[in-house]
Amino acid sequence: MADEEPVDQKKYLEEGCKPKCVKQLRAYEACVKRIEGDESGHKHCTGQYFDYWACIDKCCTDSILEIEIIEGQCCVTLASCGAVLS
Amino acid sequence: MRTVALLGAGISGFLGFATIASADESEHGLEAPNYPWPHSGILSSYDHASIRRGHQVYQQVCASCHSMSLISFRDLVGVAYTEEETKTMAAEIEVVDGPNDEGEMFTRPGKLSDRFPQPYANEAAARFANGGAYPPDLSLITKARHNGQNYVFALLTGYHDPPAGVTIREGLHYNPYFPGGAIAMPKMLIDGALEYEDGTPATEAQMGKDVVTFLSWAAEPEMEERKLMGFKWIFLLSLALLQAAYYRRLRWSVLKSRRLVLDVVN
Repeated sequence: MADEEPVDQKKYLEEGCKPKCVKQLRAYEACVKRIEGDESGHKHCTGQYFDYWACIDKCCTDSILEIEIIEGQCCVTLASCGAVLS
Repeated sequence: MRTVALLGAGISGFLGFATIASADESEHGLEAPNYPWPHSGILSSYDHASIRRGHQVYQQVCASCHSMSLISFRDLVGVAYTEEETKTMAAEIEVVDGPNDEGEMFTRPGKLSDRFPQPYANEAAARFANGGAYPPDLSLITKARHNGQNYVFALLTGYHDPPAGVTIREGLHYNPYFPGGAIAMPKMLIDGALEYEDGTPATEAQMGKDVVTFLSWAAEPEMEERKLMGFKWIFLLSLALLQAAYYRRLRWSVLKSRRLVLDVVN
């Protein structure tokens, strides 16, 4: 496995999961827009933020399990196969 | 008149709480997902190569702030290192011992029987060096936190930018998994931060997985023996249950198959 820069496995899975969580991402972005002009400092988008990251996390753990079942071993197959979580 | 006064007192008491800060989702932190740990199964053992790497991560990244005062060097023998390796590792640290025959304390190189070295002399020193926050002892951390293994992994690898509207003061960092969201520890696991002895690429996720496996072992070193014992005894006791059930029914069959006749006295 002669790889120059091993890719972080978790980041890779999170990138792959972004399309699955577009709804939560849009909701978060809508919230950001809503509170844009807020001066009071009390408004925040933690709820939507948590919804988004909960979706990403769930998708990642599902992906890990899928990868294990399909591959029969713990290997995330990038084109360069540099991301093996030993 | 009195009821009105009581009602008024009640309402003003209740309104007194109106200005207290309200809680939100960040109060309990984002829930950690359930990762498929290789040692999760009913008969699954620890990945000992992972424990060895995890100890390396702890030593190089975490030990400068976090103590593990319940673990001794000898605990590592046969689990992650050989006896010679552990002795060499222990001898690298200086331990205060004594008193000697002259009544003085002296320092000597570490032995297998010594506990892991403490980064700070006491909690006050630890707080002083870390802006008032105490880096907790990690000996039992995966048992001391709800959903410990998943929580620690999510925490270590989950440093993200804060959501819009949330500001974290200077000296703290945002972590969605930490209750309240503002944690004193900065992100410590960076890709390539250390070079593993066995050549495994040291990505953030890899180091997180290894260190959590190490911490799980540290908190529950008896896990493998417990699972073996549990499997054996649950099997044997199930057989014993079947035998006991049969024997009870055998002995009771006499009573359960008797006939009682009620006759009328004429």
